[in-house]
Amino acid sequence: MIARKPLATLALLMLAAGLTGCASQRSASALDEATVAFQQVKDDSDVLRSAPRDVIRAGESLARAERLSTYIGSGSDVRHYAYLSQRYSQIAREHTKLALNQERLAKLDLERQRLQLALREAKLASVQQQGQWVESQIAALASEQGDRGLVLTLGDVLFDTGSADLRNSASRTVLKLVQFLQLNPRRVVRIEGYTDSTGTPEENLKLSRDRAQAVADMLADLGIDEKRLLVEGYGDQYPVEVNASERGRAQNRRVEIVFSDDKGKLAPAR
Amino acid sequence: MRTQAFILAMAVLGLAGCANDPAPEEQMRLSEKALEQAKAVGATDQVESLKLAEDKLGRARTNMLTQDFRDARMRAEQAELDARLAEAQVLNVKSDEQLQLLQTRVKRLRKQLEVQP
Repeated sequence: MIARKPLATLALLMLAAGLTGCASQRSASALDEATVAFQQVKDDSDVLRSAPRDVIRAGESLARAERLSTYIGSGSDVRHYAYLSQRYSQIAREHTKLALNQERLAKLDLERQRLQLALREAKLASVQQQGQWVESQIAALASEQGDRGLVLTLGDVLFDTGSADLRNSASRTVLKLVQFLQLNPRRVVRIEGYTDSTGTPEENLKLSRDRAQAVADMLADLGIDEKRLLVEGYGDQYPVEVNASERGRAQNRRVEIVFSDDKGKLAPAR
Repeated sequence: MRTQAFILAMAVLGLAGCANDPAPEEQMRLSEKALEQAKAVGATDQVESLKLAEDKLGRARTNMLTQDFRDARMRAEQAELDARLAEAQVLNVKSDEQLQLLQTRVKRLRKQLEVQP
């Protein structure tokens, strides 16, 4: 019994030493990681400019972890402050990215406004040059369709066959639409695309939606708030003519603009 | 006898050490707020750091109940920073999306200006 006791003590000591060994190794690697993370943000001028407070806190926490690592039995505290330091470094990085993104967003938005204005002027000039500027209200072009309300039909002349890109000749009608929507700021529209029955239903559905979206995009580019533009594709449903003749098919290929009343209330979608 | 006294002293010291840690009420409040804020900008459990923050704050609450104030404080402190990181990450994802949208619009506008006669 007496002979065994020192052996047991030795074993216990070894175990304890082993445990501290592990613990300090874990603390050391946590400290290393935090140090590397801090070095990276500390030497980045963007980060220093955008998130100086986070960098300072990362440094403070790291210093604390380093100080604690000189004491025995402080492993969990070292790891804790190393963790906090690393988090502050990460947060500094994220805040920097956010600030850079905001700068780029502001610049891009100015650019967008400038281009929007230029485009509007270009369109206006080209239409005026052709002497085609008509001051009439859009209502003259649209027709009242029972429970759907005021509907304006854009024929398929606005698109090339199978393509969703608006032809340039669409400008005049679209500009009138823009003018009308600017004069009636509370009205919203639902832009509905339709195709003839050529092609598969899936293709037609996609094509009709893309065409309606192209009209919506052009309206948005000309300064109409996208919130006022609903887009819907109906494919080859709801034909206005039989699809048997070319004339009938041409009439079925269309984009319809459904107007809300002047309080912004739209007839329900089909 | 000397050893026993020593052990007793150590035990008392140890207990005193625990008792000396005050309840981290303020830190708990801060961490709760950071978590709320992260969720308010749209962080969900899908964001790894938010999940961490929730788990740690949950454990900190339990530590508060059992009066393990040291553990409560450390977990709450980590939870606060996890939540702040989650918030910043979510905001960045959103601003990336905004940037992409705006870039597409500007590109579209340029294309249209090119085809103008």
